[in-house]
Amino acid sequence: MTYILNRLLSIALTLFLISVITFAVTTILPGDVATMIMGTQSNPQALAGLRKSLGLNDPLVIQYGRWIGGMVTGDWGHSLVFKVPIADLLIQKIKASSLIVVMSMAIAATCAVPLGVWAAVHRNRWQDALSSSAALVGVSLPDFFWGIMMILLFARVLGWFPSSGFADPAVGLLPALSHAFLPSFALGLGLMAHLTRMTRSTMTGILGQEFIRVGRAKGLAERTIVWRYALANAVGPVLTVAGLQVGYLFGSIIVIETLFNYTGMGWLTYQALLNRDIPLIQATLFVIAAVVMLANLVVDLLYLYVDPRIRLE
Amino acid sequence: MDQMTPFPLQPGTPADAPQPLVSIENLRVEFETDGGTVVGVDDVTFTINPGETVCVVGESGSGKSVTSLSLMRLVEFGGGRIAGGRLMFAPRDAVAIDLAGAAPEFMRALRGNEIGMIFQEPMTSLNPVFTIERQLTDGLRVHRGLRRGEARARALQLLRNVRIPEPERRLGQYPHELSGGMRQRVVIAMAMACEPRLLIADEPTTALDVTIQAEILALIDRLKRENGMAVLFITHDMAVVAQMADRVVVMYRGKIVEEGRVKDIFEDPQADYTRMLLAAVPKLGDMGGTVAPERMRTLDAEGGAAGTAAVKRGKPQPLLEVRNLSTRFPVKGGVLRRTVANVHAVEDVSFTINVGETLSLVGESGCGKSTCGRSILRLVEPQAGEIWLNGREIRGLPRGELRKARREMQMVFQDPFASLNPYRRLRDQVAEPLVNFGLAPKAEIEHRVAQLFDRVELPRSFLDRYPHELSGGQRQRVAIARAIAPNPKLVIADEAVSALDVSVQAQVLNLLMELQADLGLSFLFISHDFAVVERISHHVGVMYLGRLVELGPRPAVFEDPRHPYTKALMSAVPVADPRRRRMHEAPSAKPIASPILPLGHQPEASRYDEVTPGHFVLNWN
Amino acid sequence: MKRFLTPKGAIGVTLVLLMFLTAVVAPLVIPADFATRMTMSARLRPPSSLHWLGTDQLGRDLLYRVMLGARTSLMIAAAAVVMSLALGLPLGMISGFYRGRIDNVLMRLVDTLLSFPVLLLALTISAMLGPSVPNAIIAIGVAFTPFLARIVRGEALRVTQMPYVEAARAAGANDVQLIVRHVLPNVMPPIIVQATISLAFAILAEAGLSFLGLGTQPPQSSWGLMIQASRDYLDVAPWTGLVPGGAVALTVLGLNMSGDILRDVFDPRTN
Repeated sequence: MTYILNRLLSIALTLFLISVITFAVTTILPGDVATMIMGTQSNPQALAGLRKSLGLNDPLVIQYGRWIGGMVTGDWGHSLVFKVPIADLLIQKIKASSLIVVMSMAIAATCAVPLGVWAAVHRNRWQDALSSSAALVGVSLPDFFWGIMMILLFARVLGWFPSSGFADPAVGLLPALSHAFLPSFALGLGLMAHLTRMTRSTMTGILGQEFIRVGRAKGLAERTIVWRYALANAVGPVLTVAGLQVGYLFGSIIVIETLFNYTGMGWLTYQALLNRDIPLIQATLFVIAAVVMLANLVVDLLYLYVDPRIRLE
Repeated sequence: MDQMTPFPLQPGTPADAPQPLVSIENLRVEFETDGGTVVGVDDVTFTINPGETVCVVGESGSGKSVTSLSLMRLVEFGGGRIAGGRLMFAPRDAVAIDLAGAAPEFMRALRGNEIGMIFQEPMTSLNPVFTIERQLTDGLRVHRGLRRGEARARALQLLRNVRIPEPERRLGQYPHELSGGMRQRVVIAMAMACEPRLLIADEPTTALDVTIQAEILALIDRLKRENGMAVLFITHDMAVVAQMADRVVVMYRGKIVEEGRVKDIFEDPQADYTRMLLAAVPKLGDMGGTVAPERMRTLDAEGGAAGTAAVKRGKPQPLLEVRNLSTRFPVKGGVLRRTVANVHAVEDVSFTINVGETLSLVGESGCGKSTCGRSILRLVEPQAGEIWLNGREIRGLPRGELRKARREMQMVFQDPFASLNPYRRLRDQVAEPLVNFGLAPKAEIEHRVAQLFDRVELPRSFLDRYPHELSGGQRQRVAIARAIAPNPKLVIADEAVSALDVSVQAQVLNLLMELQADLGLSFLFISHDFAVVERISHHVGVMYLGRLVELGPRPAVFEDPRHPYTKALMSAVPVADPRRRRMHEAPSAKPIASPILPLGHQPEASRYDEVTPGHFVLNWN
Repeated sequence: MKRFLTPKGAIGVTLVLLMFLTAVVAPLVIPADFATRMTMSARLRPPSSLHWLGTDQLGRDLLYRVMLGARTSLMIAAAAVVMSLALGLPLGMISGFYRGRIDNVLMRLVDTLLSFPVLLLALTISAMLGPSVPNAIIAIGVAFTPFLARIVRGEALRVTQMPYVEAARAAGANDVQLIVRHVLPNVMPPIIVQATISLAFAILAEAGLSFLGLGTQPPQSSWGLMIQASRDYLDVAPWTGLVPGGAVALTVLGLNMSGDILRDVFDPRTN
């Protein structure tokens, strides 16, 4: 019970800090917001008026309070670029991005884990060299490079998938998946490479431990040793790494969604940044950071389930 | 390879004589490393008869573990290869088979079935994410095809057999919920599951406290007698060999040096190495009737045995007085990391060390002896008490003064690998105290460091080397050189010889005793090894749960222990003499007391009774 | 030393050296206008003996452009890593060495910052400051700092608990001497490995930033900018994107390989 309370307190504290950091990054940095929006050639009076209407002349603490108060009551402000309530925008775009995040993680995990285990079992032989080299190359290529390759190959040359746009799953599942596939695959490849390397190194470490030897001494089949004994211990660390990757993923979706014109959170964030749409920037930054934090929280809770040693807290 | 050959009988043996269970013949095992092919063992030959215990004894690198792993054909998983020889084994109701050529499937069916094996580290021998039941039963399911319910019943039976309290509860528990001794019992239960004909035990008690060790050894002995099982027992500890063995095989650098019945080996060793090994092992009770510490017997450079030399005693003048020392560590919890409880590592400890004398603090793991040593140096800050060194109170000193006071007391740590900075040359590390305390002008420091190297019998060529180029014993000598560099009055040796091979340990102990005689050094010698403590101490303090339970001159404490804990410890220590065997398997039902107490708990002060002059016993009522 | 002779080590180090040499030497040797000279008649030509890597949409030779672009990309990346070290190393060392309350506070801050994806932070800082090369350096450098600080703290924590640090304390060393003689030399090897890998990520980050228009600005050229410029022409002239993309990939690959090898070299277990 106290553990749950402690966690909730911790979450609240982190959310508070996230909001402060978000606010700080968007307001404290030098650069006049009004000029950024209207351009440097604008009429000074118009600039002054914009500043006043945006409340930029008030002390920072007041501005912060206004912003937080709004968020808590459900008023997330209006986007300067899209001219609609931000809250509506967010809900749509979060759904869209969730689809590709989940898909890419699923693609990555289902391929990476078996591949990593295979490499670890055949350590230092050709199987290991092959998959480790492939993974190394995979980690070294930028995501948008994969994206460009995907577009070239699957969309232009083969024509199997559309190269841009987003389709609402509520409207039609197949078009939604079809539009989401290439971006997910592009994201997933980089993730898969990283996860393969992590799985391999985790498994190698586990296979060197004493209880593995004890298992063999009991006469258990090697298959059992690897896929039951060892893998059960690998789930925890690999899960942790996957959790950390969520943060990385939400950075990558900015580029990938823009590349594919897939209108999700990443695309929205980029539009906001490009146009200096401060309220929208603040909202998207906050939401993304909060989602990443929650994802890590979920990983922590799952870890409790996976590793009995932690449970006695 | 011809697998189905029966054992050749020895000429002259009657036809119905018992056949050996295991016959290892000319075994040779090689390993492929970056530096080429390394020979693990060469031309190893010995037999194990049914129902007998054979101890293979040797120091690190002797090849004893490799031999046992080869028998189980587990050595291949570690990069080894059986390059020659035969491993004859007689399974139940079948003809003898050469395991060296056996198929992997055959070996797999044999492991955990006809041959069981237990290893050294109970803390890592069990899979952390599986329950005890699962780990006990998966072997049974594989070899005997038992269903879940039957397997569970058998698992319970096994747990009862190894005398684990509350066996039903244990089945559902995970390994981390059990203590080290209990885990080792579970591991033994797993190995016994299919009633093997041979149990291989590779250093099974090395990582355990001495009382737990005694219980585990007795357990193995009982199981052996009850099941008519043979035991192949690997160890480096001659005392354990004396307790357990019927026959002994002595190994050195991959070869067998000597082999024979245990009484013969101990009373009439033939090989030089065996004699050296026996001489280097301190035997508990050897010091009966003496008062002062004595050097270990070793074979010196000329090849003969050096005589024992009694160490000169210093005048009984107090150097260090510790009064009512208490050190506690906070246990943190919660979001804001507040203190929720305290670990009472050291509780109300008082003792005195005289100039030129050695006081040993002895006890099992977690008793607080290490923390006590570190508290005196204030490497960890005590909460209460006084520390008087040469008339100066240390605990109250401000940081600057403390730095200077540290000149007088130095420390040698347990792990020779971790107590030296891997990236600094040895000469710089030994010079460091001289430099920090400003004890010599720059020009002279080099000379002083070279002299120190001479003093600890290290060649001067080592001055420019790095730690990883030296062996464990050599690194410990460097650590000692560093400790005596500022000419301290007191050196705290925190398990300083525990990580060393027996022969090296003897040399380092002699070095310490010589330094004491030459320099008038006092030692606070912290150890868990009673036999070593008996050799080296003038006074002894026994610690348990942070308190001193008994304190007095070494003859008094060792020959006339009064506190029940001291008596229990002494009776559990194995003696390196096969004529003095004691096996009592006390059920480990005693609750494991914890030094973690809630916040604000005020423990009562220690009260002592002086049973004989200078001999104090904690009043436990 | 023997460890570098593995295939991975040899390839990795060669690639890295090649790229860095190019970055340093190319601007000195190649006249600037080779890369900016537009030949409208030779637009979007595939690789040939005249233009070894082909030309882009303005007829500029891609080989020269990519070699000169190396300088911008690598300079931004290196400067950003240096900045993150300059910020993260002291933070992590203080946290790990002194522990206690300051460690709690600093790490809570760092952990919260780590909830922000690195690329997102870099993009935001760059957008707010106004995109330019110096601002890109600041953006990436600041964004990388929390991660590096955490790693430094972990290493500092591990090292300060080693017996040789306690021994040095007992030998009369003060905090500064401890840090300089014992903690830093043992913390640096894993940090060097991490810096190599961070360099790889910094190149990827710069490419991403420039690709989105928030990094290097024209008329300066960097690899990311070249990829971005090639977007519209990929159907007809894929080499315009493959050349800068390949350059990024090879550099990052070389750095990753070198990082792996360095990690093996510094692994205490194999010493």
